[in-house]
Parts: sequence; structure tokens; C-alpha cells
Amino acid sequence: MSNSHLFLPSGFLRTPLQNGLGRYIPQLQRITLKFCKNHGGSRGVRDFIESDLMEFAKTNHGTVVYLKPRRHRSPCMVAEYLNGEREYLSCHEFSRDEVHKWLSYMCTRSGIPVMRFRKYQHTDYPTVQGVWNPFTHQAPEINVAEFPHGVLSKPIDHGQTATEQLIEIFKKTQIEDPVNKPSN
Amino acid sequence: MRNGRVGTSLSGAVNVISKRNFKAHWVAPTLRELQRRKVIEEDRNGGPKIFHRSTFLEWNYDAEIFAFSNRLGEKFNDSSLRAALTHKSYIERETARLSDIGVESNLQFHDNEALAKKGGEIMSKFINGYLRAVFTQVPEELIRAMHDFLTSNATLETVAKHIGLGDLMLCADFPCKTETYVKSFKAVVAALAESSGEERARIFVQDLVVTQLYGQDVNELWNPVDPVGNLTAILKREGKAEPEFRLIRQAGSNSILAVYYVGVYSDKNFISEGAGESLEVAKEMAAREALKKLFHTEDSMRALPFGRQLKNIQSRIAQLENQPNVPLSEWISQKVMSAVH
Repeated sequence: MSNSHLFLPSGFLRTPLQNGLGRYIPQLQRITLKFCKNHGGSRGVRDFIESDLMEFAKTNHGTVVYLKPRRHRSPCMVAEYLNGEREYLSCHEFSRDEVHKWLSYMCTRSGIPVMRFRKYQHTDYPTVQGVWNPFTHQAPEINVAEFPHGVLSKPIDHGQTATEQLIEIFKKTQIEDPVNKPSN
Repeated sequence: MRNGRVGTSLSGAVNVISKRNFKAHWVAPTLRELQRRKVIEEDRNGGPKIFHRSTFLEWNYDAEIFAFSNRLGEKFNDSSLRAALTHKSYIERETARLSDIGVESNLQFHDNEALAKKGGEIMSKFINGYLRAVFTQVPEELIRAMHDFLTSNATLETVAKHIGLGDLMLCADFPCKTETYVKSFKAVVAALAESSGEERARIFVQDLVVTQLYGQDVNELWNPVDPVGNLTAILKREGKAEPEFRLIRQAGSNSILAVYYVGVYSDKNFISEGAGESLEVAKEMAAREALKKLFHTEDSMRALPFGRQLKNIQSRIAQLENQPNVPLSEWISQKVMSAVH
């Protein structure tokens, strides 16, 4: 299962002009709705324009909406984004809800072309404490140590062996000296 | 002329949300041949033909201006904004055109020369205020380098293009030059200051221009020429012992991939360490790291505040707009310790 057979370009998550860091700027610059006043394929678009378009334009007042009635042409919408990209979508035989859905899809996109995200996060500062290198956490004593060394040659997290643990438990369970016993 | 030729083939590209369709067998070869001929023509003419957006039938300048101010979430005076977007070259061209026809031109256009100049000044002021409030421990030379990066033509042109100024500007050159974009943007800042007040203009510059600093390594923008000398001078001024450089680690000293770690000590106190492919390079890197530690610009420095995080320090920013930081020649820790952010 690899992605090499896909023609879809891939990339990392990004946003134009650090959008959202300071303020959020809706990236849809303008949208053009082309439709036929007569033909049945444009019925959904016509219904959308009659009922839902004004509300859409009011809520997205940073986007210019152009209506272009064109006889004997199938309906389409062309979205233009702030980074210069354009998206074309044919709306032939769409229902009113479908037009609304696709329009709100156009609104929420930036103009960056659809691509497969290689990772769903991105940072410009991948390390804060510094990248590990073989000298990280090494005791400075290794510079002047003669190996084999009594301490530095042993593993760091050796821990107690089972025998040593048993010896410790045995010592704890020894009967204590009656002089040292607390009086209670 | 509102058309031209551009060398790249990026303009005019339309991304199609594609659907299944059935086309006759001759459609694909015809389109392929047409594309081939189009490419030859465009190469001969120096690039595809581009048209200004205003040449389209669906264009309403008033609606575009309305959407522009709403997109940014700002309120502009209509006359200020239109003046900010009008260039001298456009006015000259229009008056020449009308006088050619024979019509007397009593056009009421104002150009954006004065606005651009004022906008440049206040933008510099706001940027300096932010940098000095956030980078409190940093010498003035680095502040200036960061300010020059943020107000460079490249940065401002990118910002101007991405807020949609390209289609709104009234200018004689098409495709528009960098200077035109930069001038328009500065004029828009000034128009905003005129319309909504300096506070809103400050927030606007912080949200759009200063955020371009995100992702930049500030130490790439400026580095003192002689870090060892500067470190010695600073420690001397503070009354501390002079820096002592000691080799801490080394590996592969006989090979191409040699690495030396040099540590800086002052009076046997560790300050910083640096790595390099030779002893001299490692020494310089250690001195640079020491300066970074003093100026609080290491890789692990605090994240830069943007947007809502600036609410509490806006007054501090306004205060520091006219107070330069300590220059490198006089820098000592005690001087900057009082202003901790």
C-alpha cells in the first residue's frame, strides 16, 4: 500500500500568509455563479439564488458574489482565492442543497490545491531542547577517564539483582534489638 | 493596456473539481493538438496572455472594495481607501487619455503618494514597538535587522498580494511591479489609521506584517561580526572575568567529519557551548551561543506572541515605539533586566 501510484500531489499542511496566527482572513475572494434562466439543469442553482443566496452573501461579506445568467449553458461556479488560484465546479442538475453545500465547501478552503497530506501537523520549531547527539547526557568525566572505569563502564540503570533484593527483604524481617524497640 | 505577457505559466490555471464524463473518441486528440499549438504560440510570445480582473464582465469595483474591508474586518473611509489604491501613474494615464480624446479632465482623483509615505512611517513605528516589547533583552542592531526584514519589499509584496490588493489597485503597470504593491499596502495602513484610529492600525500591522516573523530564525537575520570580541566586551563591562574557551568534546579529529565542542567559562562558571568542524569555528559558535543566551534568542526561547496574546502588552508596545533598545556597544545584563516581559 503506497502512494506512488497516485497522481494527486502530496505535501505538508500549510496556510497562506500565516492565516489565523494574527487574525483569520477568509480566503475566498469572489465566486461567480453561471446559470441558465430557462433550462432544467440550472433549476437547483436558480432555487438557491432565489432563497439562500442573500443569507450566504450576508454571512460571507468578505466574498464578492457575481451572478452570470447565460442562456443555453450548463450551470457552474468558479471560485477565486486570495492566492490567485481558481476552482471550477459544474453544477449541472444539482439540487438547491447541493449548491449550498458545495458553496460552503468553497468558502472554507484556502486556494492551496487539493493534495494528500503527508502529515496532519506542521511546525517550524521541531526541537526546543536541542536535537540529540551522541554527546547529550554524557558525563564530562569521560574526557579524562581511563577505560575500563569502575563507574562509567557499568550500565547506567543497572538496578538491583533478584539476589540483592532478597537479601534486603531478609534484613528487614530480622528480629530487632529489644532495647531499640519503640514503646507502644 | 490591461493585458500583458508573463514569463511563467502559472496564471490562468483553473483547478477543476472533476466528475465522470464520457467524451467522443476525437475530443482528447483534438484538445492535445490545440494545447501543443498553444504552448508553441505562448513560447514565441514570451508567456501566456494575462488579463486584469477588471476586464472581465463580472466585475464591480464598489463591491470589491466593500468585500476587501470586510474580509480584513476593518472599517475604512471610502475616500481614504480609494485614494490609497490609486496610483499617480494611473491618474497621469487617464488624464492623458482623456486629453487625447479631447475631453477636459476635471477628475477628482487623489493619489496615494502622501498616504504611502505616512503609512511607511507608522508601520515602522508599530513594528519597532512590537519588537522592543517582545525582545526586551536584545540589542538595537538585531531589532533593526528584524525590522528591515519585515519592511522589506519582498515581505510586504507577499502580504499585499495575499490580501487581494492585486485586483483592486488602479495603476498603469500590469503586471504590477513590486513597488506598486508595497506603496498600496503602506497607503492602506495609513488609510486605516485615518479611518479607524491608530489602535486599529497597530493591531492590523501586528496581525499581517509582524506574523511574517513566525518561522524565521532571528539569528539568521543578524549576527554580530566578532562574537568573541563582543562577549569579552560585555563580560568586562559587567565586571565579570574574561571568557575562557575550553575543549569539552571532540570526535573524528583526523577525518573530514571532525566535530569539536568548545565551552565558554567565566570565572569557572559555564556559560555556553558550541560545536564546529574545527577549533576556531567551534570557538565562534560557542561565543555566539553565549550571546544568544544573554539576549534570550536561543532556539528554546519563548514563542512569539500574536493576535489575542498581545492584548495585555499593547500599552507597553505603544510606549516602546519611541524608545530604542540598548545598542550592542553598551549592552550589559543589568540594563535590560528591569524590562522583563
